[in-house]
Amino acid sequence: MQRALAEVLLLAVPAGVLGSWIVLRRLAFFAHAVGTVTFPGLVVAGPWGIAPQLTALAAALGFGAAQERLGRGGRLAPDAATGLLLVAALAVGVVLASDVYESGAGVDSLLFGTLIGLRASDLWFTAAVAAGALALDAALRRSWLAAGFEPASARSLGLRTARSDRLLLVGIAAAAVVALSAVGALLVAVILVVPAATVRLVCTRLAPLQLGATALAAAEGVIALWWADRLNVGPGPAMAVLGGAVFAAVALWTARAGGEVPA
Amino acid sequence: MSAVRVAGLSGGYGPGRQALRDVTFAAGPGRVVGVLGPNGGGKPTLFRALLGELPVRRGEVALAGAPAYVPQTERARLDFPVSALDVALMGAYGRTPWYRRLGRRERDAARAALARVGLAAVSDETFGALSGGQRQRILLARALVQDAPVLLLDEPLSGVDGASAAGIERVFGELRDEGRTLLVATHDVHQAARFDLVLCLHGRQVGFGRPGETLTPEVLRATYGAELIVLEGGGTAVGVGHHAH
Repeated sequence: MQRALAEVLLLAVPAGVLGSWIVLRRLAFFAHAVGTVTFPGLVVAGPWGIAPQLTALAAALGFGAAQERLGRGGRLAPDAATGLLLVAALAVGVVLASDVYESGAGVDSLLFGTLIGLRASDLWFTAAVAAGALALDAALRRSWLAAGFEPASARSLGLRTARSDRLLLVGIAAAAVVALSAVGALLVAVILVVPAATVRLVCTRLAPLQLGATALAAAEGVIALWWADRLNVGPGPAMAVLGGAVFAAVALWTARAGGEVPA
Repeated sequence: MSAVRVAGLSGGYGPGRQALRDVTFAAGPGRVVGVLGPNGGGKPTLFRALLGELPVRRGEVALAGAPAYVPQTERARLDFPVSALDVALMGAYGRTPWYRRLGRRERDAARAALARVGLAAVSDETFGALSGGQRQRILLARALVQDAPVLLLDEPLSGVDGASAAGIERVFGELRDEGRTLLVATHDVHQAARFDLVLCLHGRQVGFGRPGETLTPEVLRATYGAELIVLEGGGTAVGVGHHAH
């Protein structure tokens, strides 16, 4: 339980820092997809004797490269390419899993997460990604901000946004990979999108948004762990229910208070 | 010496596509050039070529320094969590290494730029909560912080309130007096007639020179074609049809 607690607290860092950019840069679908496409990688990790983080990362980066290739030249809209690859990865994962797993329980834990059996190396990997998220944010936040606010001027402002945007996607992929143990391949958005989207409803500045999203992700993670333990459910679904309920409550409150919900 | 010099420029967005061809003009320091043209006439293409974002298929482009670009306010996202000061500060990004925080000097420059466009009082307001005219002035303030010798402005006076338009035109005058060169894309022939020079585009260069000599009915007809209305009484002509990129 201690390791699980440390894991969700570490995950709160990329959830707040990168989650805010996911929401602001409208990358929620990408974040969901990059988590889902890791599924076949997770399925083969055990039989091949490879760390699941590595196979998941390879799948996530392969997804990013394939998406860019498919979208090149504007022949396929980015969200269409994302949807296409997401479905393909899920299908491949299901086919592979039918050969690997005799019962559905193993597949469930890959899709929806389990914090049972976390190793120290898992925590170190998550800590490294959390530190990487902070470093990326410190180095590239000006570029991400300017490109998200008004991309046409980025070059004249002296920014090279193509490279920094690519690194944002790599950071999101890495964050999705370390979130897999807690929430599984299908619920990555629960930790990388929902807390930041919730705080965004009441926040009009970037720094408070990132701090608030980090704090909310940590609080939701800890409560969901306790709740999952009591009810004997996976941490991913517990976080999804809790995060969804908090988001709905805040959205309702801001709507009733007459505030405009930011897009 | 020219601050902006374009010779025989042709370019486009893809192989075989030539959005603009045969553009040749020059403007010295302290000149305001009105860039006139209809929708699809090549104004954004020219700006993209000057910004170095468009492959120049033929010709040459030479600028006195890296230009600042002022987009239409509709191009900016209103839901972004940035204040007027945050936006003005973006003008200092290019000269501040990523490892150095934006300090007092940059903040003072951003505040001074906001004051110059008459918006010191709203520096802490959220950009998206301000009026269209105020937002346009903030984008101009961002360009002021860049301290560029050449400014490219994409229809900065379209759809803004009278006070903002007057404020923007006043800043144009100040920038001209400082020796900066401004290229102002516009649909408004009357407005362009007040500038030092006009450049008329319709996929190619139709005319360039002093407004009094260049804005003849023939040039305007060749520039705007069907989009032109000629008013009676003095033969004044105006372009119609506000375009959205």
